[in-house]
Amino acid sequence: MVRRPVRRPIEDGYFTIPDEPGEAPRLLGSRCPACGEHFFPRRVVCARCLAEGCVDVLLGPRGHIYTWTYVHVPLFAKRDRKVRGDADWRTRGPSGPAPEAPGAGSMSSYGVAQVDLPEGPRVQGILLGESDDFRIGMEVELDLETLGQDAQGNEVVIFRFRPVGFATPAGRENRA
Amino acid sequence: MRIEGVAVAGVGMVRFGKYPDRGVADLAREAGLAALHDAGMSLADVDEAFVGYIQPASLLGIKAVKELGLTGLPVTHVENASATGLVAFREAAWAVASGRAEVAMALAFDKMTDMARGGGSGRGAGRDQIDTTILPAAYFALWAQRRMYDYGTKPEHFAAIAAKNWNHGALCPWSDRRPDHRVTAEEVLASQLVAEPLTAMMACPADDGAACVLVASVERVRARRDGRRLVRPVASALQTETYEPGHTFLGPVVGPATMTRDTARTAYDAAAFGPGEIDLALCHDAFANEELEYYELLGFCREGEGEHLVDEGATVLGGSIPFNTDGGLIARGHPGGPTGLAMVHEIVQQLRGQAGERQVAGARTALAHLVGGGSVCTVSLFQAD
Repeated sequence: MVRRPVRRPIEDGYFTIPDEPGEAPRLLGSRCPACGEHFFPRRVVCARCLAEGCVDVLLGPRGHIYTWTYVHVPLFAKRDRKVRGDADWRTRGPSGPAPEAPGAGSMSSYGVAQVDLPEGPRVQGILLGESDDFRIGMEVELDLETLGQDAQGNEVVIFRFRPVGFATPAGRENRA
Repeated sequence: MRIEGVAVAGVGMVRFGKYPDRGVADLAREAGLAALHDAGMSLADVDEAFVGYIQPASLLGIKAVKELGLTGLPVTHVENASATGLVAFREAAWAVASGRAEVAMALAFDKMTDMARGGGSGRGAGRDQIDTTILPAAYFALWAQRRMYDYGTKPEHFAAIAAKNWNHGALCPWSDRRPDHRVTAEEVLASQLVAEPLTAMMACPADDGAACVLVASVERVRARRDGRRLVRPVASALQTETYEPGHTFLGPVVGPATMTRDTARTAYDAAAFGPGEIDLALCHDAFANEELEYYELLGFCREGEGEHLVDEGATVLGGSIPFNTDGGLIARGHPGGPTGLAMVHEIVQQLRGQAGERQVAGARTALAHLVGGGSVCTVSLFQAD
């Protein structure tokens, strides 16, 4: 029996990691016991009515795109990218391609969306697909993006959205 | 509440740009001394200081003030992301208005180039946190995409605003970007696509810099600089987010658009004048699409009509309501903390009638607006005697 690598969240407390790779993760949210408002991520005090003691709930896995963009700079670029310091930029403006990002993250370009969940929260996350795949109002479903491996060989993952109907996990992937 | 009896005593700044060989204390000293010289003062005249920066380090503000002298004055640190400088200014103005200080200093500095190299933006950002993965341009692009969906706005509108600010920067000695040719919307659109629909030339640079503003009682300013036109801060509002359904908590994000509208209303109420009486405005244009939204949210036109102001050229120097006359964040630059004080610097040049080629004829009133980290908004209003 082949042992699958263990999947670990980039940060605890935001989403579930299902046992089966094909199963959709859920977001870890809260519901106010007084007014019923839902929140992501979890919180103690209700932001709507200020009641204390919000209870844990699972949110998603489906929602609709409120807005989206496609970023042509690598993930984590702000940390990895060499800062452009040439004097030419100051008077001429940028010309030619941006500097390469050494040791960039797993994606050299990627979609981002704000997704309205049926429970109410609007959630921002990475979007699977290419620029011409997305429309405002489109239904999307949660899954997991692998960002890399930690020192113990575990896969570090973050939640992402993909348009409903896209195959996962072996279907369309972002450009590496 | 209206700010009474306070005037700007002096302003000074270091031109924003890349200063790999200069530390923040060095930049802060240059800006601080420039403001003190402009006011005809030394640190001995200053009763209290408010110092702002974004970089994650303790007590840098006191270290910077020590460059100007050790007089025992109280120093308070202020940090509100991109809004930091204007919030430090607000505290200084109210310290004088309250009577607890006769002269107060707002000083800010930052080196965004160090922060970009050192990892992440702001405090504690890193690869192990869920909300630091995505480039900031993306959040503003999300806003721009929704705008285009709701109102049919074109990338050409955003490009025209960016080109305007590059060209304003060309006329400003303190602007980081001073293009050697007239920048067109076509050139802006042809630059590298960063996050659809935003291109590289629609975005502000990551800068280093410092700026300082001294405020004092009207009597004190008159005593030191008799005959110079008095520039008074008359209102300064500061607000954080209010909850509405659909709020996005995990970001950082742009924040609710209502924050700018509500903060501006509070400032207009306090000043007892509104957008119709304002001669020039400086706003948070880290990305060009923001400026279009703020035309509406600050009340310079109705919702959905910002494109008309762009088409008419109303916000270009010479238009009916010039925006970002020094080039804005896009051209003058955006080092973080000092940005708001550079805005006050430009407003003071304009209201004194000393803005040279950028001078807005007969300018008497001005507005400065900043948002920070999607979580705060501040608006200050100024009036010349």
